[in-house]
Amino acid sequence: MAKTPLYEASTQFKNWRYSPDSLASVRASLNSAAVAVIRNTFESDEPGSSSAVSFLTPDEELLLVRLYISKIPQLCGFFHFPEEVEATAVSYLKRFYLKNTVMDWHPKNVMLTALFLATKTTNNPISLEAYTNNIPKTSPSDVLDLEFLVAQSLGFEFAVWHAHRALWGIWLDLQSVPDAPRNRATTHADIYDAALQHVRASRLSDAELVYTPSQIALASLSMASPDLASEWAASKFPPDSPSVPGLQTTLASIRALIESSVVPNVEAVRAVDLRLKLCKNPEKVVGSKAYLAKKAEDERKAEEKRMKKAAEATTEGDPFGDELAGGPGGIDDDDDD
Amino acid sequence: MDAVEKANTERQKRWVKDQKVGEGTYAVVYRGREASTNRKVAIKKIKVGQFKDGLDMSAIREVKYLRELKHQNVIELLDVFSSKTNLNLVLEFLDSDLENIIKDRSLVFLPADIKSWMAMTFRGLEFCHRNWILHRDLKPNNLLIASDGQLKIADFGLARDFADPGYKMTCQVITRWYRPPELLFGSRYYSTAVDVWSVGCIFAELMLRTPYLAGESDMDQLKTTFRALGTPTEQDWPGHTKLPDYVPIGQFPKTPLRDLFTAASADTLNLLAQCLVYEPRKRISAKDALTHAYFFALPYPSHPSKLPKCAAQITAALPLEELDGNTLSGKTNRLKRKLSSPDDSTKTRSTVARRLDFTKPTPGS
Ligand SMILES: Nc1ncnc2c1ncn2[C@@H]1O[C@H](COP(=O)(O)OP(=O)(O)OP(=O)(O)O)[C@@H](O)[C@H]1O
Ligand SMILES: [Mg+2]
Repeated sequence: MAKTPLYEASTQFKNWRYSPDSLASVRASLNSAAVAVIRNTFESDEPGSSSAVSFLTPDEELLLVRLYISKIPQLCGFFHFPEEVEATAVSYLKRFYLKNTVMDWHPKNVMLTALFLATKTTNNPISLEAYTNNIPKTSPSDVLDLEFLVAQSLGFEFAVWHAHRALWGIWLDLQSVPDAPRNRATTHADIYDAALQHVRASRLSDAELVYTPSQIALASLSMASPDLASEWAASKFPPDSPSVPGLQTTLASIRALIESSVVPNVEAVRAVDLRLKLCKNPEKVVGSKAYLAKKAEDERKAEEKRMKKAAEATTEGDPFGDELAGGPGGIDDDDDD
Repeated sequence: MDAVEKANTERQKRWVKDQKVGEGTYAVVYRGREASTNRKVAIKKIKVGQFKDGLDMSAIREVKYLRELKHQNVIELLDVFSSKTNLNLVLEFLDSDLENIIKDRSLVFLPADIKSWMAMTFRGLEFCHRNWILHRDLKPNNLLIASDGQLKIADFGLARDFADPGYKMTCQVITRWYRPPELLFGSRYYSTAVDVWSVGCIFAELMLRTPYLAGESDMDQLKTTFRALGTPTEQDWPGHTKLPDYVPIGQFPKTPLRDLFTAASADTLNLLAQCLVYEPRKRISAKDALTHAYFFALPYPSHPSKLPKCAAQITAALPLEELDGNTLSGKTNRLKRKLSSPDDSTKTRSTVARRLDFTKPTPGS
């Protein structure tokens, strides 16, 4: 496809591709780091209190995330969002949990935020009010409070390359291969639809974090029609091309991922979620003792910094004449730090 | 501290913010530098907290596209970090923009200079289009100029991707004077051709030194366009009378571009005309423009380092130390600009360009 070299220059290709092993190790180390921090918080609050807590395992975290991934298509159906929004929100949610853990940030609001952000990044914006008014027990601040954290966790890399787009590209290619039957698009429309369903199923799995959009699209097509998939591959690679055996292995792995991706059992997730209530990071629970303590500490540090800055400004004088003219407020129109 | 927060702090530490240099609609821009190398950068600080719908769409578009695009003629986004509820975009520092240069009456443009700016604009634009990105707001003010003379397309706050052909888009984009007639007639199915029209207008402006099609309202913009280029017929532009906001504007005859651009070469006028074709599908693409005879004919494009610079740029090219404490107030800039009277620069640059007689009134003005 014409897009391939561009895809290879993308942030997705550079920053969001993993091997199955590296995915596992990222998740394990995020999990153990979070457990250590939370254990520590419990202990400093009340020594010995962490020993009774049963923390989530990386697999349990993933289970919870998957459940919320599966809610995205339902919400998108309700709001009539295009497929681009849905696929992008799913990618954001997965990427978020490669930088954060469920024990710090519960996936429910992260999912809602990822979806809201995806409407904007794909240029399908909706007002926050219209969005949250239609979601039970959700207020604008549930989304606003997390939006920045989500964007930051994504590294502000908002562009996502999707398998459903790649499938469309393959489909167009198939209509223009030499001696393709005429009207293929209409007579074989059911194959395209079946392949698209497989692409959608792949979103529940880790496929997009390991494989390229075209690989996932081709594997999905091969599940709907092995013949058409081979025909397309044959038109792209000569039969003796060294990449053909490798491609077959890759496609088989993707098919296995797609076939095994199911919506998690709600009962199993509920049990995990119940335990999460006991082991989540108290510093992230608005209003808790640990939360207030951390906030007070942050504010104390910020105040200290401000004082120091103000002191420097008065002792050294301001090297930039007109900035002082603004009075106390003018010392630092740069209100960030 | 969270891993995400920690990573952000690391990034933030790489950059030092110095003085404010400008302010746009949704951001304040500072001059800054990379702490380890002292490389000069621009830090565009976008306030996030103030929008009731969260992160602002312009900021999102700008970050989304600039994160992906790396090209000599597209402004480089070096980093993104946040501070409290502000989003900071670290951009390469660019001294000036094409609007400043066009307006600087002390500068004389040679045909080779115009060719050079056009080549750089089309190169950047072709790269955007190749990446399925429409800029949708090309105008001289958004073509920034680096100290080495390289032109960079900037301001992706209105950009969007177009991989979905036939996807409906809003027609309310592109600053009026650079807006193509299909948008003025309310077409919602448009493509790369809209950007090419804008480049055509910029091309003309470089020769005229004043905006080519300066309409006073959307309706007047159509009138101005048709007065300059003739009212399109059904043959010129099939189906345009069926566009959503079509209104008959009046019959204006086609006048040859040559009448206005008296000193331009035939190749120049041919490329200009191809950028300003009414039928969007027949308008030249950025890719084809790059292989147009204009770019291969004499005179060859000026080397970017030899292009005319305005006074602000010359000041800005000085080493950082000499500038500290001055750029903010702009005192030096103003002084320098006054000093360089038109006479000074015509002495140093050939006066050949003056033979391009653009003193005739612009249509519509
Ligand atoms: N990369 C840069 N290097 C140097 N100065 C810059 C850079 N980007 C912006 N500036 C300065 O900051 C000002 C504001 O830029 P910004 O892009 O936010 O807004 P704008 O383009 O002027 O206006 P608008 O927001 O309406 O498009 C510019 O006019 C320019 O003076
Ligand atoms: Mg601008």
